[in-house]
Amino acid sequence: MFENRTTGLLLVLPAALFAAVLFLVPVGILLSEAFRSDGGSFSIQAYIDFFSSSRNNTVFWRSLKLGLYVMLTSAVIGYATAFCIVQLKPKSRGRIFALIILPLMISPVARTYAWLVILGRTGLVNQVLIGLGLTEDGLRILFTETAVFIGLLQLFLPLMIISLMSSMENMPRDVIPAARVLGASWFSVFFRVILPLTREGLVVGGTLVFAGSMTAYITPAILGGSKVLMLETLLYQRVTVANDYTSASVIAMILVMMSVVTNLLLKRLAKPRNRRV
Amino acid sequence: MSDYVKLDDVTLAYGDVVAVPNLSFEIGKGELIALLGPSGCGKTTTMRAIAGLMGLASGSIHIDGRDVTNLPPSKREVGLVFQSYALFPHLSVYENVAFGLKMRGEKNIKPKVEAAIESVGLSQFANRLTPDLSGGQQQRVSLARSLVVEPKVLLLDEPLSNLDARLRLEMQMVLKDIQKRTGVTMIFVTHDQSEALALADRIVLMKDGKIVQSGLAEDMYNAPETRFAADFFGFENILPGEDGRERAWRPNAIRLGEGPYEGRIRGMSFGGDYRTYVIETDRGQIKGAVAADLPAYAEGETVRFDLPMAQAVALQAG
Amino acid sequence: MKTSSFANWTIIGLTLTFLIGPFIVIILAAMTDGNNLAFPPEGLSLRWFVKVFTIESFRDSFVISMVLAIFGTLAALVIGVPAAYAISRYKVPGAGAVQLIVSSPLIVPGIIVGLALLRYLVIPTGFTIFATLFLAHTALILPYAVRVVTSSLQNLRTDVEEAALILGCSRLGSFFRVVFPNIRGGILAAFILGFVTSFNQVPVSLFLSGPGVRTLPIDMLAYMETTYDPSVAALACLLAFMSVGIVFLAERFLGFSKYV
Repeated sequence: MFENRTTGLLLVLPAALFAAVLFLVPVGILLSEAFRSDGGSFSIQAYIDFFSSSRNNTVFWRSLKLGLYVMLTSAVIGYATAFCIVQLKPKSRGRIFALIILPLMISPVARTYAWLVILGRTGLVNQVLIGLGLTEDGLRILFTETAVFIGLLQLFLPLMIISLMSSMENMPRDVIPAARVLGASWFSVFFRVILPLTREGLVVGGTLVFAGSMTAYITPAILGGSKVLMLETLLYQRVTVANDYTSASVIAMILVMMSVVTNLLLKRLAKPRNRRV
Repeated sequence: MSDYVKLDDVTLAYGDVVAVPNLSFEIGKGELIALLGPSGCGKTTTMRAIAGLMGLASGSIHIDGRDVTNLPPSKREVGLVFQSYALFPHLSVYENVAFGLKMRGEKNIKPKVEAAIESVGLSQFANRLTPDLSGGQQQRVSLARSLVVEPKVLLLDEPLSNLDARLRLEMQMVLKDIQKRTGVTMIFVTHDQSEALALADRIVLMKDGKIVQSGLAEDMYNAPETRFAADFFGFENILPGEDGRERAWRPNAIRLGEGPYEGRIRGMSFGGDYRTYVIETDRGQIKGAVAADLPAYAEGETVRFDLPMAQAVALQAG
Repeated sequence: MKTSSFANWTIIGLTLTFLIGPFIVIILAAMTDGNNLAFPPEGLSLRWFVKVFTIESFRDSFVISMVLAIFGTLAALVIGVPAAYAISRYKVPGAGAVQLIVSSPLIVPGIIVGLALLRYLVIPTGFTIFATLFLAHTALILPYAVRVVTSSLQNLRTDVEEAALILGCSRLGSFFRVVFPNIRGGILAAFILGFVTSFNQVPVSLFLSGPGVRTLPIDMLAYMETTYDPSVAALACLLAFMSVGIVFLAERFLGFSKYV
């Protein structure tokens, strides 16, 4: 009864047309803009110009660097936390899990705003540092890469923990005690047993965190300001301050490529495994 | 009348893959027919086509003299008891059974619905949601739901396969009783020859979308015409004869202990009333069943046996 | 494999402090009686929570965000449910491409979508900012709606629909009488997910703001640039409570997490 292809096509058509006309067409035009020279022919001059600016280069490499740092740090914290959580009894595991994903439900503006109070010149961290006599009039943390790093880490850590947890829950039971009985140290248990078995979760979490950090807007906007620009804040600034749509188009292309590559990677991993790792 | 349901040169296909090529058969009013065959033989596809859930690539289907080939399922006056029962999970037993009558816009349906639920013995569950019922109960709801609208033909997809042995016997009696009481024409699909033999007046044996043989249940059991049919009905020993035709024997038709042939016992399985031996012979493996109260043979023992021609069935090629 | 339960809880506690601590800080900071955003707060009062409601631009942008979230989600469901139905039931020609198109709003970063729509829809055609925002939010929610409803449909056997047809239903009738009642939970979950996503959305709306038309998060970002008083903190708290409350209720009464 579901063999009528026309009916099926008619049912998906509104959604597909809507997304295509509203998304793909305008975004496609925007992306193509940087490939057009003044005469209208194909050219990659805009990309050469973009990367010959030292400011743009700084922003590009900073985004990569911060994305990488956030990914690595969240992997370390994520492993420790996920490992502890999966050992809890199911009931408390559920509750802790709810707390871990709680921040994901909350407006990112609200999430990031809290760090202003904590990292500001008279914020919580500086008060503690001054109280301990470590500094006299407070460190400048806000509007530095450190602040952006902390904000991004808080934003994306839950994604890493979730991915690792689901991998760990799928580990065969008792492999860790088995390895311990066979004489493995905790160090080799991690690198020879846990890591290989949770590789998939690590890659999923890692790509989500890395791509998310690279393409974040709110966190660098609030915690980095105009001093610590990242790709999206640079794009916003190029458009609103300089009306520079060519650079915007180049950045857009970088962001879209990032996103596409991430999605392809995740799709590949989402397919059921039938090969040995 | 013997053409109450009539399939004429029906071809059924999934996309470009033909599942059933050029099938024709007729069923009389009030008959209980089994479509029998291994999985993938096209029996379920055929049933879905009769119900209107699947379009025909070519051919026609008539029910009670009316061409239903292009009618939607709702206009064909058929009932279908799905293998999974397909009850509406959000509705109670009563609402499930009432569904068809409501769709027909009938008034004053309450007595009919209640009688239908009563007839399958589920009155005390009328207000339960269907997922809360056992498998057997769900099937009876499904049966009541199909019958309450008084269909001309009742289709049943593997009606006994999800039930345990005890419920199976019970359901067999329920179905026979329905046939007697309502006179509805029933077509059921099964892969199990014992089910088909126990229930059906007539059996249509299918293979690869084609009818291999059809006839009264007893005839099918006693006189399979082809190697496939013989194998399906338990003639496990099929040997080429001197005239070039193959002949088939059931294991209990083989006589052990005397006879012109000789073989070596390879294995034995105890079946309660009888023992079944696997015998290695120069004509291939033979299975012979012997009453359990006769002395047993040991493995490796050489034994004489006979293939009595009186109990052999001669097969056609194919 | 028992590590000591003390070490276990210490690590979990530290992580949770990092993840959730800032919210507690901001809740307390918003409850200050003083005029500056500070921690610890100078005296406790709820006056900043009250003040939020008196700021006119917040009230206006709250209404806009609400309208976008509710009607954008509804619109996404209206076109998304048929698509989900087709994807889960039919062999749609080019299904892979269709699914890719429908999920493209998840792949393309929002800021680019906003800019593209501003440049190639609002400016050349004179579409209003609000209408464009509405379309953009609808498109943004579409992939969530399709995904959640599809998975809900996949859990419903198709033979119940066939049973309905045999019992006399039309195709449309069987959808509303049999399919819909059984995927209501999924549709509601999709609505909640869409609502929260749209309401918290920033990047898409970044370029799509004009005189008098701003979503609430964008309005908050703008307000923060000029004013450093605790009202934004109070508003952030209120929004956080709202999202958490909605999700909590949804989980309680619907088992939200099994759909998402």
